[in-house]
Amino acid sequence: MSTDPWIWIGAFLTLMIFSFLFKDNPFYKFGEHLFVGVANGYYIALYWHNSLKPNLFDPLSAGNYLYIIPLLLGLMYFTRFIPKISWLVRIPIGFMIGWGAGLAIPAHFQAEILRQLEGTVITPESFTNITAGIWSVIIMVGVVCTLVYFFFSREHKGILKPTSRLGIIFIMIGFGASFGYTVMARVSLLIGRIQFLLGPWLGLIR
Amino acid sequence: MKWYEVISTIDRRIIYVLLTVLVILPFFTRVTIPQNIMPQTQRLFDFIESVPPNDKAVIMTFDYSPQTMPECHPMAKALLKHCFARNIPVIGVSFDPQGPGLAVDAITSVVDRINHYATSKEDSLVYGKDYVYLGWKSGRIAAMLDMGESIAGVFPRDYFGTSVDSFPLMQRIRNYKEVAIAIVLSAAAYPDDWIRYPQTRYGVNIGAGLTAVMAPKYYPFLQTGQIAGMMSGMKGAAEYEKLVLEHGYARELGTAETGMNSQSMIHILIIVFILLGNIGYFFSRRQK
Repeated sequence: MSTDPWIWIGAFLTLMIFSFLFKDNPFYKFGEHLFVGVANGYYIALYWHNSLKPNLFDPLSAGNYLYIIPLLLGLMYFTRFIPKISWLVRIPIGFMIGWGAGLAIPAHFQAEILRQLEGTVITPESFTNITAGIWSVIIMVGVVCTLVYFFFSREHKGILKPTSRLGIIFIMIGFGASFGYTVMARVSLLIGRIQFLLGPWLGLIR
Repeated sequence: MKWYEVISTIDRRIIYVLLTVLVILPFFTRVTIPQNIMPQTQRLFDFIESVPPNDKAVIMTFDYSPQTMPECHPMAKALLKHCFARNIPVIGVSFDPQGPGLAVDAITSVVDRINHYATSKEDSLVYGKDYVYLGWKSGRIAAMLDMGESIAGVFPRDYFGTSVDSFPLMQRIRNYKEVAIAIVLSAAAYPDDWIRYPQTRYGVNIGAGLTAVMAPKYYPFLQTGQIAGMMSGMKGAAEYEKLVLEHGYARELGTAETGMNSQSMIHILIIVFILLGNIGYFFSRRQK
């Protein structure tokens, strides 16, 4: 069994949070509130020491007054709390949207539309390996049928009906895979905590 | 109460107890459920195998938080063991505010273990020469893009406050041109930004070590080759640990491999409960 007080604190906090599985109780509430408080303190300290101080206040105190512009833009966000001048918040929001859109749109288009389209198109190279060829066809059919399912400009009759039905099957398979992975992820977190309790705390396993 | 009503209304606390028992049990038994290596994990391993020693660096981003440690931490340790065993320099960075503490823990534990068994000074790992950890940076998109011009420009000081220019490793590795691959160990959508920005602009190879929840989203990027290889959740970590052990790069398995026995048991239990729930639902609907 561990002699490290931090391990004991971690173990007790883990048990406090797990106690919610039985029912809500003061121990759980304590653990939850402590977590929120510690997380807030951590973030404030981290952002101050690693972001605000070195990137804004240090250059300002060194006489680089150009940094007043980002300082003012940042402060304008707080005008939301003063109704008379709350319109000023539009300036930093507009700046961020303009910067963000200019940066993101070409990158999204390149990485997530063009490259994904390339990956969907079947070429002779797709059939250099028979298994890869079959998968390429399945991907192509899946993409087309799923897109047809989300095509609402025309009633799903005639050829559109079986195509969209096949599309929903592909979507359901996707949901199933996501659900399976989610279960695996959540169970992993439980395993991690049990490993901590049995290992570093109780010393029962390696 | 009819039998199908009973199996449809099992108390959640009974399920929790069964879950806990089945998680704990495999740690005390000799049962080992074999794990097959998935192609995406093998691809990542093969990529690292193809990187020449003492040449280009591997960037590892520690962008996960304590709650996802069971999945991402073993991945980080297995990757570090692999890189260090092959003399590939490692540059650690974080864009998630919760990453630094975990990064330091992973790096220190692996380095200490390797140095413990080192027989000479040449076998030992030296900070600044074989690896560095540059810490956390806010504004990740701008930082990722600027690293293409100068890594030291984005991170002038490392996590411990030392000037990055003083490290022999960072004098050699200046930007993405000297980086073989950036491996994103993440519990959030950080790989998206690596694919959109550094890869699109600078052609950086991207690898990923992701929580299982995130993995399905990134399969299309694997298919197009935008991700060179990927570890998915605890299973991916266990597979990488196994590969590293089998190739003689590690002395023992990590925590993911041992956790996978519990994982498999729980999967069987969940399948049983899903079947019971559906059978109960089916029969109760027929009675109505």
